[in-house]
Amino acid sequence: MLTEQSAYANRWRRVTPVAKGCFSLCGMIAAFAAGSPRTALIIALILSAVSVFGAGIPLLRYLRVAAPPLFFLLASALSLAISLDFSTSATGVSLHFSGSDFSRIAQASSRSLACVTALLFLALTTPLSDIISLLRRCKIPEILLDLMTLCYRTLFVLSEAVHDTMTAQSARLGYTTLTVSMRSLGGLISNLIVQVWQRSLALHNAAQARNNDGALRFLENSYANSRLSISIAVVSGCLMVALTAILP
Amino acid sequence: MHIMEGFLPVTHAIGWSVASAPFVAYGMYTINKRIQEKPEQRMLLGVAAAFTFVLSALKMPSVTGSSSHPTGTGLGAILFGPAAMAPIGLVVLLFQAMLLAHGGLTTLGANVFSMAVVGPFAAAAIYRFAKAAKMPFGFSIFLAASLADLLTYITTSAQLALAFPDPAGGVAASFAKFTAVFAVTQIPLAISEGLLTVLVMNALARFNPLELKEMKVVAAQEMQA
Repeated sequence: MLTEQSAYANRWRRVTPVAKGCFSLCGMIAAFAAGSPRTALIIALILSAVSVFGAGIPLLRYLRVAAPPLFFLLASALSLAISLDFSTSATGVSLHFSGSDFSRIAQASSRSLACVTALLFLALTTPLSDIISLLRRCKIPEILLDLMTLCYRTLFVLSEAVHDTMTAQSARLGYTTLTVSMRSLGGLISNLIVQVWQRSLALHNAAQARNNDGALRFLENSYANSRLSISIAVVSGCLMVALTAILP
Repeated sequence: MHIMEGFLPVTHAIGWSVASAPFVAYGMYTINKRIQEKPEQRMLLGVAAAFTFVLSALKMPSVTGSSSHPTGTGLGAILFGPAAMAPIGLVVLLFQAMLLAHGGLTTLGANVFSMAVVGPFAAAAIYRFAKAAKMPFGFSIFLAASLADLLTYITTSAQLALAFPDPAGGVAASFAKFTAVFAVTQIPLAISEGLLTVLVMNALARFNPLELKEMKVVAAQEMQA
């Protein structure tokens, strides 16, 4: 996953996740506070510039990560632009573009774009393990954190199992036609469910052997100058929110 | 079907989060109870979350030729129970936002409501109803998985319609529009996912009846037949 690569190898990897979380949150607040599409676009530009120039994420990779949500945004905006009319014709329904709605669509889309850049900032600079420890500080219930930790750690194991199984199936012409590929996929998933069962039992046995008595605990990372980076993040975040108040 | 990050107005985003909170809380309560009875369920549900995430990244051959991804809500609800799917769904949706930039943090509440609350509960209810009506195993699985998908997409359309009512026709016209537009991709997806879930459950029933019995998907006497 591209976001993972950047999250572990960017200039701000060693900055405390609290600071990055605060800045991203301020970005989302600014996106919602923006009064006009132009202001929201400026916020989006600032957030993506901070990710690319500040955190040092290569521009090409940034664009590749941003492409799917941007495509999705385009589709969502189009679905807003289309309007169904039930009253006009005797045949029933007519489909047309509603031009009068343009400002509303621009508002929603630009806000969404700014929010996506704020999300990408957090996703591209902070690994999920850091985000889980950030959520632990926010006093999220222990059971949810356990689910997240386990999910994150077995995600890649299962992805590899999927990859290997698919390679084996394709080598035996398992994905040549629609029916065959449906059957192969069914076999793959049912095999994966059995693996879920077996792997979780093995994990449980391993944890029991190490005297696990419930919750999964991990050492917290420590970060240098965390107070300074949190204050920088909060001040610059607040400036961004203030900018939306100044601009129309 | 995910609603994009930042797409909903702030009141709707908060409203849907408040609406899904009790379901997630109830789900966590049942998970805690399950773990107290059987400690190995902690690992099982954690790995189940990873499974759901990986499942949603698989490409599924669709009837219309376009590729789509299974949601796994029906399958998860049948295997792990609908109540547990709300917290699991929350975790999976958070991971999809953070790792794939799919969905989002501000729309997490709305997405949890449609995909981790409505879908799984509908699937479990339909499956139970079909089993009570003595329908064949495969057919009840198909009904549960595909109808859960359809209900999920109808919920998402309703969420979008409430947020963006049609200037002329209001919420109802907007709802009709969104259901009609998304039907193009969502109805084939529901059929494909229904078929796929049947194949998965049949393979499980044939090769791994013990596991299914453990998960209480089928009664013990059905397995011997």
